[in-house]
Amino acid sequence: MNQPLIKVDTVTKHFVRKTDVAERIAIRAGLAEEPKIVHALDEVSLEIAKGEVVGLVGESGCGKSTLGRVVAGMLPVTAGSVARDGQDIATLKGRAAKANRLATQIIFQDPMSSLNPRKKVGEIIGEAPRLHGIVPRGEVPALVEKLMGQVGLDPAMVNRYPHQFSGGQRQRIGIARALAVNPDFLVCDESIAALDVSIQAQVINLLVQLKKDLGLTLLFISHDLSVVRYISDRVVIMYLGRVVESAPTDQIFDRPRHPYTQALLEEIPRIDRRGHRFNTVKGEIPSPVNPPKGCHFHPRCPFAMDICRQERPPLVTAETGHTVACHLNAGTGQLPATTEQQTQQGVTQ
Amino acid sequence: MSETLLEVRNLKTWFETPKGTVKAVDGVDLTLNRGEILGLVGESGSGKSITGFSLLGLVDPPGKVVEGSILFKGEDLRAASNKRLQALRGDRIAMIFQDPMMTLNPVLRIGTQMIETVRAHANVSKAEARAMARDALGMVGIPRPEERIDAYPHEFSGGMRQRVAIAIALLHKPDLIIADEPTTALDVTIQSQILSEVQKLTREMGMGLIWISHDLGVVAELAQNVAVMYAGRIVERGTVDQVLDTPMHPYTRGLIDSLPMENDRGQPLKQIPGNAPPPLGRPEGCPFRPRCGFATDACLSEPSETGDLSRGWRCFHPLAQEVTA
Repeated sequence: MNQPLIKVDTVTKHFVRKTDVAERIAIRAGLAEEPKIVHALDEVSLEIAKGEVVGLVGESGCGKSTLGRVVAGMLPVTAGSVARDGQDIATLKGRAAKANRLATQIIFQDPMSSLNPRKKVGEIIGEAPRLHGIVPRGEVPALVEKLMGQVGLDPAMVNRYPHQFSGGQRQRIGIARALAVNPDFLVCDESIAALDVSIQAQVINLLVQLKKDLGLTLLFISHDLSVVRYISDRVVIMYLGRVVESAPTDQIFDRPRHPYTQALLEEIPRIDRRGHRFNTVKGEIPSPVNPPKGCHFHPRCPFAMDICRQERPPLVTAETGHTVACHLNAGTGQLPATTEQQTQQGVTQ
Repeated sequence: MSETLLEVRNLKTWFETPKGTVKAVDGVDLTLNRGEILGLVGESGSGKSITGFSLLGLVDPPGKVVEGSILFKGEDLRAASNKRLQALRGDRIAMIFQDPMMTLNPVLRIGTQMIETVRAHANVSKAEARAMARDALGMVGIPRPEERIDAYPHEFSGGMRQRVAIAIALLHKPDLIIADEPTTALDVTIQSQILSEVQKLTREMGMGLIWISHDLGVVAELAQNVAVMYAGRIVERGTVDQVLDTPMHPYTRGLIDSLPMENDRGQPLKQIPGNAPPPLGRPEGCPFRPRCGFATDACLSEPSETGDLSRGWRCFHPLAQEVTA
């Protein structure tokens, strides 16, 4: 197998609130508590091959956006490393660091807050290629026109402002801006979550087309499993800062091994299921400030055993290309025979 | 169980703006029975939320209900005084919003807010009101309601806050609940917990529920009947099975087709071309015409509703002749 494009190796990311002098003295004197640490990522490993579309799924606070930003080099890691083409991106300097940052671009969730409302579309898309000297100054307008065409925007609208566009068109502007610096890797962080259903399909089709035309690699971060299933080659499931399962798309949807994955798959609302009696996972998502000991999912897991409360399950390869972090069946997780029965009961009730 | 709870006829809510009249809701008819869950589906700007607000008399100026009737248990709410509406709101009719922080006062303990709501409509002592509040919290699945009743809203997670908002809506065992996208901001596993509670409660308490949502999947699993809104009108209605299995309106069909299904991988998704029309620039005739593959000159005039209030659609070119069972 070739070297992966992106290799995330046991990355941990903590967020701590900065303390000021007075607070530090108070802490010394025992008058105040140390600020709490948010364990956003807890020894996460992930590989992305060239040309692959990896879907990263999880609920709020599971660290999926943090992972996206770490991979894109926007956030430094607390421990571990992120390598691109075998090179640790933290060690890159000067020109190499810049080239690396340009080659990875992020498309954000809310185009309205990621586009400067005072700039015309042409400036928004053309700014980066001009500043970074991607093309000579005189050719920037032609490049903007080409990019707008590529993402399905009428180049005649080049002098309009973001607010004059609809939500779907704004997201297209965000995509054009990302593509302007010739990246080969895009991180899509909930890029379609804010769009209406009929517009979502347009943007998904555009992303798939661009991926094909430009040979892009995508990390597609989303909480919407049906979209992830449609677009991804491989799916990675996160829960509270850890990867709990990773497998090729069909495999994870047909034979999920982690009880959390199974619950998640069971509970996406589907239009072909009517009058469903919801069969829910109990409990809340715990806080990443104070995650539970052992397996993070154990307080909500119907199959939790003693070991799950004590020891963190390692990410184990259960079958080819399918890894899971679960203590059941000697660390290979549990196939969803029981889940299927539950589904059938749910439908017939 | 077919007692009619709510009858809305030809409801029009318009907003007068300097640039013209925005017809947010433009002739909506609805019927809801006791114990029924109706899914009101539409994209942003379709008028689904304004329809909900109009029912409760909660539309702020420059918006105004300009036409139509709203009969709640036979009483015309449009003719009702503000005092009467206040007495009904929170008592017989309750609303749940998308963002529970909009419902909850951040500087008051939830117990204080709930007791206030109880005593606004019932002549009971503080202790009795507190007991009712505690019971309501328990009913929506909040663990240790006795302790949690003294917490502030920020001490709850998003899902728990929404449960509190639902508990407040349930305090007086209302006949009708209007829920405006109440689970949209929640995670899948939490959404599922809330849907399960809501389903159980409507079944047990026999109230009517209007569930406003853009998510066809949620509506399919939760509701019995569904109405699809586009540009201020209901363009199709029927049972969930009728509307989702044999949609008659090309817009409904388009919405269903644009959802990625498991067999779609590798093929482009079917998309509805174009964008929803801006509220001030709706095309003449059928508002879906510019995006519709079936549009003809006939569509330049306004389609009226075919069928009736249990199964109907507004289209000159319905997709299939329905098989009547």
